[in-house]
Amino acid sequence: MTFFAEINVEAVVIFSIVLSITLGVTYWASKRMTGASTFYAAGRQITGFQNGLAISGDYLSAASFLGIAGLIYLYGFDGFLYSIGFLVAFLTVMFLLAERMRNAGKYTIADVLSFRLRERPARTAAAMGTLAVAAFYLIAQMVGAGVLIQALVGIDFSLAVVLTGAFMLCYVIFGGMLATTWVQIIKAVLLMAGILVMSLFVLERVGFNPIELFNRAEDNTTAESTFSLAPGTFLSSPIDTVSLGLALVLGTAGLPHILMRFFTVPNARAARGSVVWAMFLIGGFYLLTTFIGFGARAIMGEAGVEAAGTGGNLAAPNLALELGGGEGTFGGDLFLAVIAGVAFATILAVVAGLVLSASGAVAHDIWSSIIRKGKDSEKEEVVVAKIAAASIGVIAILIAVIGGEGLNVSFMVGLAFAIAASANFPALVLALTWRRFNTMGAVWGVLLGVTSAIGLIIVSPKVWPGADSDTGSPLGWTLSNPGIISIPLGFLGCILGTLLSSERGTDRSFHELYVRSETGLGSEKSEKALSPH
Amino acid sequence: MAGPTERGETAIDWETIERSPEFQELVQRRRGFVIPCTIFFLSWYLGFILLAAYAEDFMGERVYQGLTVGYCLALTQFAMVFGLGLWYLRKADNVFDPLAEKAIAAYSEDATHPGERRAKGESAGSASTEAVR
Repeated sequence: MTFFAEINVEAVVIFSIVLSITLGVTYWASKRMTGASTFYAAGRQITGFQNGLAISGDYLSAASFLGIAGLIYLYGFDGFLYSIGFLVAFLTVMFLLAERMRNAGKYTIADVLSFRLRERPARTAAAMGTLAVAAFYLIAQMVGAGVLIQALVGIDFSLAVVLTGAFMLCYVIFGGMLATTWVQIIKAVLLMAGILVMSLFVLERVGFNPIELFNRAEDNTTAESTFSLAPGTFLSSPIDTVSLGLALVLGTAGLPHILMRFFTVPNARAARGSVVWAMFLIGGFYLLTTFIGFGARAIMGEAGVEAAGTGGNLAAPNLALELGGGEGTFGGDLFLAVIAGVAFATILAVVAGLVLSASGAVAHDIWSSIIRKGKDSEKEEVVVAKIAAASIGVIAILIAVIGGEGLNVSFMVGLAFAIAASANFPALVLALTWRRFNTMGAVWGVLLGVTSAIGLIIVSPKVWPGADSDTGSPLGWTLSNPGIISIPLGFLGCILGTLLSSERGTDRSFHELYVRSETGLGSEKSEKALSPH
Repeated sequence: MAGPTERGETAIDWETIERSPEFQELVQRRRGFVIPCTIFFLSWYLGFILLAAYAEDFMGERVYQGLTVGYCLALTQFAMVFGLGLWYLRKADNVFDPLAEKAIAAYSEDATHPGERRAKGESAGSASTEAVR
């Protein structure tokens, strides 16, 4: 990694271009900020296709790009399992939540969860679920950004984290959801273009024969390689593989920053269209991770393992360097800088979406609905949301800087998915479909989901890397991914809480939620439909 | 435009809509599509994950040179996502959306599809708001 020690001029130029464009977009969006609906939901004027791009930009984090490429490079087929799980998850979103969220919600997932429940406890629980997911995911992305920028551009880890955080806050505070949406769209276009060009370069090396890519990848393994075309190298415990698979396919449907995107389109039809667009974009992307991951193995072989760093995160940038002509050539440096710029844009778009969803939970759910009981003005709520965004951002920056490079990124992303699948997903689905479901059910479900996911991760062997990693956990616990236990517990909490309490109906009935979520009658209007033009 | 809609919201009789045959047909037909699809995709996906977890040798078997059974099955997951996505989109546009519009026709003031229903929708909307008041 010695060649990254000094500042990479090409990378700085590319980063500056990315930053200037996104700042321009933020300035444009700030001129169009009218109120809470623009701040949280971009005035609900984003089209289905735009939202599909923005969902892709919101969803495909550095863990998807650099992380999966690295895992495939190091472990082969097991890395590709992540691609499959992350993609199939969108069927869960499409069939169960996307249109219903748009029809029933306003700004946050708590709007939907607490629609016909007692507002204060249900909203508090939903806000906690959102904040828990957003916090772990956000810190993971910030640390990832620091590590990546330090390695690729040559600036210090802490400075890199602070810079990322500063730009993220700039988009959110000045441009709200409108700016965040367009940052995500720009990032999605850059990322798709980047991975497509890289894939073509890789395919060119093997005469455009993908099977030859697998052959060469396999030829490029040595006795000490962990790489295999068969499963079982990275996820060596079968039950852990199943547990992870479950958390991936259900977790996406509980990610607040993804679900929030459905509030930005004018109606349920556009929400549905945007999921399918996102499926094709994200599916295309994950299909191409094959060429990057297996290509890195075929082209760089075992010799590149050390330079790929922890988890193989630098495999993709190193592959770009190699494809462009190798170390020290202009083409190599340029390709590396472009891919680094794409990765940087990737992180910025994801963290902006996360901060926005967390600020919604604080300002819209906790401040406006619970503390002020809906008596605050819309203007006040937006100001509080901006203060909340700034505070959350600063806390995340501080934790990332203090925790430093030692914080395990994939562990925190896994935790975020586990909480989303175990706490947010069961409560949301049951709130929308189960007539009997009540406030106690929501509170118990979210609490049991969050605590079991966090508790099982704390005792998991990943957190206790002793000399003998098999028995690292103090309780002898061997499961790394909590999903297979915590997801059923989340559902169980919802069901038991509901059945064990005798709750009377609230102001708004299930009839209203049911008809509204299925038909869109009475749903929030887009600003275009409200204006006289 | 905003006035009558907002006042109309409090006046909507949700329970009557829920009991109406149009609404019942909507939810039954949508359920009849979504539930089997959900069972299918979760089974196909979890089957794939179980094979990856417990049948490593089978997944590592070669179909042709370096192409494994596992990778071919992975490709079927992509095909499933794209296929179900497009199928649902068509079904929703052709069947579910028209049914939903019928179910709420009495309250509809939908500005998203101007043209054909504008005149009808507006007159129906104003008539119904008068009726409930």
